[in-house]
Amino acid sequence: MISEADLRAEVERLSAELRHARAQSEDEHRRLVTAQAELVNSAKLATLGSLIAGIAHELNTPLGSLNSNHDVLRRALGRLQIILEDEHVDQTELAELRRVVRALDGVMKVNDLAVERMVKLVKSLRSFGRPDQSERDTVDLHDGLESTLALVSHQLRGRIQVNRVYGELPKVDCFPNQLNQVWMNLLVNAGHAISGDGTISVRTRAETEGVAVEIEDTGSGIPPENLNRIFEPGFTTKDGRIGMGLGLLIVRQVVERHGGRIAVRSQLGTGSCFTVQLPLQLPSNPGRST
Amino acid sequence: MPQRTPTVLLVDDEVMIATTLQAFLQLETAYNVLSFTDPLKALETLEQEQVDCIVSDFMMPTMDGITFLKQARDRWPSTTRILLTGYADKENAIRAINEAGLYYYLEKPWDNDHLKLVIRNGVERSALFNELDARVSALENAHKELYGMRKKLIQAFM
Repeated sequence: MISEADLRAEVERLSAELRHARAQSEDEHRRLVTAQAELVNSAKLATLGSLIAGIAHELNTPLGSLNSNHDVLRRALGRLQIILEDEHVDQTELAELRRVVRALDGVMKVNDLAVERMVKLVKSLRSFGRPDQSERDTVDLHDGLESTLALVSHQLRGRIQVNRVYGELPKVDCFPNQLNQVWMNLLVNAGHAISGDGTISVRTRAETEGVAVEIEDTGSGIPPENLNRIFEPGFTTKDGRIGMGLGLLIVRQVVERHGGRIAVRSQLGTGSCFTVQLPLQLPSNPGRST
Repeated sequence: MPQRTPTVLLVDDEVMIATTLQAFLQLETAYNVLSFTDPLKALETLEQEQVDCIVSDFMMPTMDGITFLKQARDRWPSTTRILLTGYADKENAIRAINEAGLYYYLEKPWDNDHLKLVIRNGVERSALFNELDARVSALENAHKELYGMRKKLIQAFM
């Protein structure tokens, strides 16, 4: 017979073991959460790194033009001053004057383009990375798509054509900055999937209960056995770079926090198409930002 | 030999850069300047015009700068080739020097005075090559003439 006291002691012992195990699993959980946060952070840093490299590259052309044009303007003005100070301007000097004015006209036109391009890029940059991560707004999704396309254009230029098929979209209540991360991930992935020349199609349409954005590439496609795994944490086919394999996981989390869905269809050798469907209103308890 | 105006050909898919370079060279030099945004169009022009110096970008959609300069070298070896690139990576620089027989490798953004100097030296180099070619063929002709005279002399005295 087991005495009541023995039973009590046994229960006590088992409870203590349970408490210990629980404490241990809580520890484990904390460690996992930290590790996940670190991974997400390094994925963000990797995206940020490639973004910065892209911006630097994109700014180089207009800046190179402005730098040289500024020099040309200074030289040309110097020449004009010399000619204007001379009281006896003759035909040869007038010809030189015309040459200088022609050069000035050319560089001024390019300066306009260069400044315009830099202003546009900086605007894209600002609307892409809004300083307040949790800013909620009702926006036209095309703005975010265009900002993101401007930022990834250096990765696509000359190789990949972007085909826009935009429908009439109602404004969407969302966290624009988080959705931009979604477009960025999908567009960069689409670019990576195309090894040579190809096309990325960006399609938008209004649906009965919201909007849909489709990003389709003419790339290598995803093997059927991987299709169900691409949204899993850590799944990647890219070389073992830190922070890889989280892009699509984050994409799905963001879409789901917006009360939406993401679907993919793909054919090996033909390409892939990601469809993001979003409701017009955020769910009543939208998640925090990533 | 009569003095001809040297021709400089510029290729950059960015119309902004092509125009900027052209404006600078037109203001500061007496060269005949041709500018293109498509290397394929530039190759067509090279078939018709005698060009002394080519300045080309690297990353271009229809043909990369190294392939373009390599084709230019194969057809017009005495034309000086300069690569002006915003895409600086060591591997491509080495490839360009080895494959396209590059005279100079410049990075964007460039310094106008330096660019002008490099182009001027490039044009001179090309002129020297052409002069050498002309002298060599003149020498060959003179040699042929001498040989003919010698033959006639021998015939006259034999």
